[in-house]
Amino acid sequence: MNIDKLNARLKKLFDGRVTATLTDDSIVLSGSLDRWDDIVLACKTAVDKKSGKHVVNDIVLNGREIPKTRVPSINDTSLDGLNVDVLVIGGGISGCSILRELTKWKISCLLVDKESDVACHASSRNDGEVHPGIDLNKGSLKQHYVLIGNEMYDKVCRELDVPFKRVGQYVGISKLWLKPFVRLYVLQRRLCGVKGTKIIGRRKLRKLQPGLNKKFKFAVFSPTAGCVCPYNLTIAYAENAVTNGAKISLNTFVSDMTVENGVIKSVVTNRGIIYPKIVVNAAGCFAEDVAKMAGDRFYSIHPRRGTNSILDKKTGGYVTAIAGIKGAKSTPNTKGGGILHTVHDNLLVGPNAVETYEKENFATDAESINGVFKKQSITSPLISKKDIITYFTGVRAPTFEEDFIIEKGHKTKNLVHCAGIQSPGLTTAPAVALDVSKMCVDMLGGAEVNKDFNPVRQGIPHLADMPLEERDRLIKQNPDYGVIVCRCEEVSKGEILDALNRTLSVPTVDGVKRRVRPGMGRCQGGFCMPLVTKIISEYQGCDLTSVVKGSEGSVINYSHTKEGK
Amino acid sequence: MEKYDVVIIGGGPAGLAAAISAHDKGAKVLIVEREASLGGILKQCIHDGFGLVRFGEKLSGPEYAERFIDEVKAKKIDYLLLAFVTKIERENSKFVLSIVTREGIKIFEANALVLATGCRERTARQVFIQGTRPSGIFTAGTAQHFVNLLGVMPCKKCVILGSGDIGLIMARRLTLEGAQVVGVYEAKDTPSGLTRNIMQCLNDFDIPLHLSTTVTRVFGNSRLEAVEISKVDSQMRPIKGTEEIIECDSLILSVGLIPENELAESVGVKSDGRAKGAVCDNTFMTNVDGVFTAGNATHVNDLVDYVSESGEIAGANAAAYKEKKRELTDVNADKNTLYIVPEKLDRNTDLSKVIMFFRSSHVMKNCTVILKVDGREVFKRRYQNLKPPEMERICVDFSGCALSKDSSVEFSIEEG
Repeated sequence: MNIDKLNARLKKLFDGRVTATLTDDSIVLSGSLDRWDDIVLACKTAVDKKSGKHVVNDIVLNGREIPKTRVPSINDTSLDGLNVDVLVIGGGISGCSILRELTKWKISCLLVDKESDVACHASSRNDGEVHPGIDLNKGSLKQHYVLIGNEMYDKVCRELDVPFKRVGQYVGISKLWLKPFVRLYVLQRRLCGVKGTKIIGRRKLRKLQPGLNKKFKFAVFSPTAGCVCPYNLTIAYAENAVTNGAKISLNTFVSDMTVENGVIKSVVTNRGIIYPKIVVNAAGCFAEDVAKMAGDRFYSIHPRRGTNSILDKKTGGYVTAIAGIKGAKSTPNTKGGGILHTVHDNLLVGPNAVETYEKENFATDAESINGVFKKQSITSPLISKKDIITYFTGVRAPTFEEDFIIEKGHKTKNLVHCAGIQSPGLTTAPAVALDVSKMCVDMLGGAEVNKDFNPVRQGIPHLADMPLEERDRLIKQNPDYGVIVCRCEEVSKGEILDALNRTLSVPTVDGVKRRVRPGMGRCQGGFCMPLVTKIISEYQGCDLTSVVKGSEGSVINYSHTKEGK
Repeated sequence: MEKYDVVIIGGGPAGLAAAISAHDKGAKVLIVEREASLGGILKQCIHDGFGLVRFGEKLSGPEYAERFIDEVKAKKIDYLLLAFVTKIERENSKFVLSIVTREGIKIFEANALVLATGCRERTARQVFIQGTRPSGIFTAGTAQHFVNLLGVMPCKKCVILGSGDIGLIMARRLTLEGAQVVGVYEAKDTPSGLTRNIMQCLNDFDIPLHLSTTVTRVFGNSRLEAVEISKVDSQMRPIKGTEEIIECDSLILSVGLIPENELAESVGVKSDGRAKGAVCDNTFMTNVDGVFTAGNATHVNDLVDYVSESGEIAGANAAAYKEKKRELTDVNADKNTLYIVPEKLDRNTDLSKVIMFFRSSHVMKNCTVILKVDGREVFKRRYQNLKPPEMERICVDFSGCALSKDSSVEFSIEEG
């Protein structure tokens, strides 16, 4: 790492407004710039993977206030004085999978998340692809874990009773002259360890995926690619962890830590002070903030937004797998999005990639949706914005090196970072969780195996997918399974009550929606939302006006009508 | 497996009327209703104005429904409540329905079906409103369910997008319950709802109506905090620089209704016509023999009286249904017509009293509606005013036209 050379380049680019300094494990950039994109550019310029040092961004963004982290308003002492072996910060797919793996040992584990449910940020705002790993080269943690993680999916989803389909991924190419190059690329993928990727010709492609662009001359097909519902899997991991003895505290925000001699002594939250032996930092976009509190900030996260659209199930037949294009101008740092046939038989179109300084700005914009549709119309000309039933934005949490950070703390001894997790972070999670949990156990000096660990979770039955005889049998056991509340997704009252009656119960409209899907269909809850609200209030024994949509303060009804009083 | 001549899916106004008329024709009838009581959306329409055409008096929605429900009960017509049709299969020209109920899956056989499945509301995302996803964004029907059926208030200060009838009705209803309605915003340059509703629901309560204006964005993380409105051009595209932020806790949407025909589509019914619902002939039979459509599943009506009428026609024809060859002639409409229902005529049926419903595609004054068969005029009526929100009904006698397979039926609305 030649710091002088870097500073010379930065000077040329930014006229002396940014300078770099070296520390033991980081390249720290400081100064001030007017545009966030310039800050990203400066930090990207400083990346030097060979040095093993990470870029830390201390550049001030002029004239813009970086929004404060949204925190729950609740204040109590429910966790005060709690001693735990491992504290996991962050209830996304990383945190929840780590928590579940930790329960294989006889240790006490607690996961905290500031939101009102698990999987509220990136883990519920991605496309749900289980990646084959064809776009990654040897040497990165992403590539190492994507192959192992992908292979683990069948078993993990079977154990956790989560729908998973290996639908395969097609990358369509319309220029025939590219074929020899692509052939070499496919060969190289195999050397990297990707299994089964091959080229398929035009005729076969037409037969397998008739809805794709007829101009495709051939395609790269990866049979190991699959799709899963990312929040269902996260919830399943969380529930299984709780079943096996772990504790999850939602609406719990870590605001500070006491660190003495490189050891975290205590963690301050809005629910009291926790005394963990080990802390796992799985805080997504906030991993850098947690690292800072722990005195171990050696990397930076630069949030990157992505928007996906969901199409009506009627379009499900257009593409029955995962499909995308490989263009000459591929956007850096993203797989470029595509069209994905979800496990629930919708089509998902997206995502795009836009750098941002706002970690929690989940607002959508027309530009993103239009851009994605313009691009993916090349993949399949059948898709149309008219078929959109909803769209959402998520924020990725990459480091400037664009690789994961899965390692023990540098300066802080009882800390494990699981940071910089972005695509293919969903695919890698099962594999990463195994390694992180082992790291924690090693740091604890070993632990006894939990002989009672039960890897199997029984999911909530989805009756609409069952053969009629089985459905009939279940209704006769529980008549509520015969009362359809959500007409679009055919969800029964029984399934909604099941969702409320789980080991990790989140009695909100969104909590129920993410577990059993009322409101996920084409009417988007227009018909069933009042009914779901009523079922929640009856189950909770609370007034209708107490039921919220999702997050704290997301009131649905303010008061009673004059007659309703 | 119990057998019926006619199974009617949907116990709203169209289904109730269809059941009564099918029963009166001697058919054994079953109504399948997914909710806990009959009446459909009328249950939550507690305002008046229903039944003026049919009964010559102003009834509330529940009162209007009750007249039909009483008749269904008096005539001992079978009905299932909390019953959801999950599958329809065709077996030897009969229909086999699998129905989810509290007692288990029930299987019924029917000779003919009437699909009276109503419509659903277009959502915020379907009109491309951008921004966050807070609570406080409701379709007008959802808000109406909360207020009128559950007795709770989903808003204190709201903006209403769309001047459809339910939006106008809710503007008044919410005002009466003490909420502040900041205004009704409509992207089109003319109101979407009935004139009487503009007068009675907005003007009488001093609620402003802003035309050529739409909501483009919403703000707020947990509960809605504000909306961004923009003026739109003649193509209904937002005009840059005209944005205005309005603080409010709710956005109520009345931006259109979509006929619900997913079940119909599962048996092969086409809904690709201009009316956006199930395409049918003058007997209200769809392209699938033995499957009839009625009410808002065929096209979105603005008066329930006409919904009942279409149900009656469909029910009577379903009762009389026997397998026979149909000979269909398309009814073509000009560009001044938004749509006409029925879109086809069956030459093998009685064509002496064909009830037709139409809307103009834009506001027209002093115009003439003309129906021609092979260039010969068979119907003509002058209208002082035609506008898209107000559906018109006509009764046409085609019996003297000797329709053949080469005939052309042309419907037009001409200025002057």
